[in-house]
Order: sequence, then structure tokens, then C-alpha cells
Amino acid sequence: MVSATIENSRTEHSTALTIVHIQGELDSSCMEKIHALCDEILAKHAPFVIAEMGGVALFSSSALGGFMGSRKRLVESGGDLVLAGLSLEIKSKLNLLGANKIFRIYSDVRSAINAYDWEYKGKAETVNLSFPSELKFVPPVRQLVSRIAQQKGYSNRDSFRIETIVDEVCNNAVEHGMQGSDRNIDITVKIDRQKIEIQVVNISNPEKIRTLREMVKPDTNLAEAAATAGKRGRGLALIKMLSNKMNIDFSGNGTSVHITRFRGD
Amino acid sequence: MESQINLEFEDLKGSNNAKIVRFVGDLDATNVEFVLDKICNLMNEGYINIVADFQKLRYVNSTGLGVLLHFNKSAKEKNGSFKIANVNENVYEIIEIIGATSLLEIFDELDEAVESLK
Amino acid sequence: MAAHDSGYSIDLSFPGDLGYIPPVRKFVSEMLQANNFSPKFAYRSEIIVDEICNNAVAFGCKAIDATVALQFKVHSDRIELVVKDQGGSKEDRERLKELVGGKKVNQKGKEPKRTKLGLEIVKMLSESIDLEIDDNNLTSVRVTRKRDDMEVVENKE
Repeated sequence: MVSATIENSRTEHSTALTIVHIQGELDSSCMEKIHALCDEILAKHAPFVIAEMGGVALFSSSALGGFMGSRKRLVESGGDLVLAGLSLEIKSKLNLLGANKIFRIYSDVRSAINAYDWEYKGKAETVNLSFPSELKFVPPVRQLVSRIAQQKGYSNRDSFRIETIVDEVCNNAVEHGMQGSDRNIDITVKIDRQKIEIQVVNISNPEKIRTLREMVKPDTNLAEAAATAGKRGRGLALIKMLSNKMNIDFSGNGTSVHITRFRGD
Repeated sequence: MESQINLEFEDLKGSNNAKIVRFVGDLDATNVEFVLDKICNLMNEGYINIVADFQKLRYVNSTGLGVLLHFNKSAKEKNGSFKIANVNENVYEIIEIIGATSLLEIFDELDEAVESLK
Repeated sequence: MAAHDSGYSIDLSFPGDLGYIPPVRKFVSEMLQANNFSPKFAYRSEIIVDEICNNAVAFGCKAIDATVALQFKVHSDRIELVVKDQGGSKEDRERLKELVGGKKVNQKGKEPKRTKLGLEIVKMLSESIDLEIDDNNLTSVRVTRKRDDMEVVENKE
């Protein structure tokens, strides 16, 4: 005996996403119902389906076959069928049948929606960090951003370049800013499928900021400046080469550096 | 997004129901199901005696520990065993904190764990 | 946000997604080691962050855009970790109060075993663990861990 409730929960943003809450025992007697459900969903033109299955007590191999058939129909209509909220017991059994090679399986509906938004809606995720303005903190900070990029699917190479950008920008922020454990640097990382934006804000050291202002003048030849200005000049040149966009704002008593880098490979 | 863990499998000479499994990386909530699948599959294929080499396992949290206890229980239910060797100091401390040192079969060296199968 | 007494603070907020936790816990470990805390201290702190953040994501992030906020303050004699989330259901809140408070948990029908194990580990590794839930359900778990002199790596300079 199985029951299924359809929830179109994303109509305010998109009509393409459907959530179906399924409860009970899924066996060969449900095939007709699964097929009819699929017809109904396709008729609504919302072929991205999240099947919420926390209330499923049994999932037979024939029911899995029915789900695979439905998924095929949904994919042919430009959608997908993913599973969410399965109990550990059901998930283990399904994985033994190879279900995890065909279906994406999420721990809950929220994770599935976030994955959908990331993949199809260009959703960005944001990390904010505030840390003391000292050089010794920069390596952990750049590694944090690099690991986040990697785990969001950016390649090792891309993640390494992002790490370099963060390193150079933060080093500059420490060296040109007011230093000390009671002065913090604020970094915001906004990442989506296609690009990463990094903003670093610090409190400027007026004695040191003049050099930086000179180096970022539009008519400055960074390569030449790099040769004469030493490591920080080289750092800026590197950031510029690795980024698609770089803006530096000196207004107020702070310096804000905003970098955009599009995803490479 | 998952923490990195790899499993390396090695046959045990003279045994058709035992395997060495080397854990490499961190075992936590993000990858515990991957490990659960792999080891459960192994047991279902008849390898009911698992010797887990933790030499390259840097980190385990409570979720990871839960799964290790589950393997221990599953193996015993099948009349097999789940033995652990080369546990580093940090991981051992966590196992000790939850009182699982008496529940899990832990050996200092891999050879000792393999020998205990006989 | 800077500390006004000796020491300093680090503030981090990230999406309520389990996948962020490995980079975050490694970050905390590395920050501590950058400050001459021993690898052992850093590892134990990593475990604490992992367990508390796992709970925050699993039980305190219901909204699609939910985030987790982590603050850690390093003082001369201790570190304080505070993890904040938007809070869970009434049942989740009651269970968390019981687990933090150390009272017996009624596990009927639910699977809190993992949560219990995690918080038990945190309690063993820390001096204190406190829970605060405000009127808007914002849930804060504060953990204090003493800086053990034996765990401080000598400054090599």
C-alpha cells in the first residue's frame, strides 16, 4: 500500500521543480501508480522531481525498475528524478541494487533543493570570515577557500589558482593594513557553478597605502611596478593575471579588494 | 561535497573470506555512507572477516565511529570479525572516550590482527 | 570583530550544508596550530567543531538558505567556541537541552544516538558546554576548552 502526495513548492521561482512525498511500501503492485504519477507530473511541465521517501518502509527491485522508467521519461523531457530522505536501511538495499549509480540520493529535501538551485538556477553560496590581521593566519585562510572551491566541484588547478589569489590579496591586506590581533580582516567568498567572487576588506595603514594606490593606478604597468616594487608588486600582478576582474576601493579608512574569477576547466 | 576518503583492498593469502581494507584520509559524516556501502558489499560477497588498516586514517568523528561499530556488529552476526590495526593516537583517544575500545578488536600491528584470524 | 581583552576572535559563517564542515574544521585546526597550539590540541578542537557543526546543520538548518555561524575566541588560558544556528523544532530543542544538560534522553521513535555520541565526545574534550536559545529560536552552543600548558608547542624563535 503506497500513498504519494505531489507538492509543487517552487512555483514562485520556478515551475520546473516538483516534490513528491511518498509513504508506505513500494512493490510491484505500485507500478501503475508510479506511472500515473509520472504522467501527472509531465502534464504540469515540472519535470525536475524530488521524491521525498522518509516514510517508505519497503522498496522492492520491481518498484526500483518503475522508478528508473519514470526517471527516463523525465530526463527525456529535460528533467530528472532524485531521491531524498531514505532511511539508512532502504538506502543500503537500494545501493546493493545499484540505484546509487543511476539516481542522485540526498539526505533530505533541503539538500536536494539546494543541489537543484546550484545546478540549474545559478545559486551562489556565501562564506564570511573575519580574522586578525597577521601573516601567520593567511595560510589557513587560503586553504579554507581552496578546499571550499574543490568541494564545490572546481578542479584542483582552479582551486590552486584561487588559493593563490586569496593568499596574495590577504598578504597585501596584512602588509598595507593596520596590523595586530585586534585588527581584523574581513573576507567574503561568494561561489556558484560558474565563478567565484572574493572580497577582502581591511583597515588601511595611511603610511603604507600610498604605495598601493600608486601601484593600482590605471596607467601603471604592473609588470614594471612588480620589478621595482618588490614582492607586493609581483603579488598584485599575479592577482590581476589570475582574475577576470579586480576592483580596489580606497574610500573611507578601509581598503576593499573585489576579485572575480570565472571557473576554468 | 565530501571529505576525502579512499579504501584500498588487499586479499589475504590462504583465505577466501577475509580482506585487508586500508582506510586513507578522514572518516566523517560526509563520506560515511560511501564507506558503509563498500564494506557492506564486501561482507555480502562473503568476505566476513575484515582487517581494517588505519595507518593512513587521520581522523574519525562520532558518525565514523558509529559505522565502525556497525561493521563490528554485522561481521559478528555473519560469524565473522572486524579487526582494526595501526590506529593513531588521536583516533584511539576518540574511540577510548566513547568507551568503544572494549567493543572493537584493536591491534597495534597489522600482522597481529591478521594472525588473530587463524 | 576584535576581542577587547587579551586574545583575539575569528568569526566564520557558512551555508548549512554538511559538505562545508570538513574545510571549516581543518581551518580551525590550522588556525590553532598557526598560534602555537600543539597538533593534539588542534585535533581535539577539530573534533569539537565537527560534532557541534554537524548537529547545527542536521537539526538547526531548516530553511533553504540557512547558515551556521562559528566564532572562536583565543584567550591566554582557553579557547571558546560558539556555534549558532537558526534552531530546530520544539522536539529538537528539548532533546538538545537534555543532551547538553546531561539528562536521560527519551529515544522513543527517533534516532538521536549519533547526536548523543557526538555531544558526549565534546563534553569529554571540553571544560564546559552551554546552550542558549533566544526568543527567535536562535540556538547557540558554547564550548570552552582550557589551554593546557603541556599542549603548547614551544615558540621556535
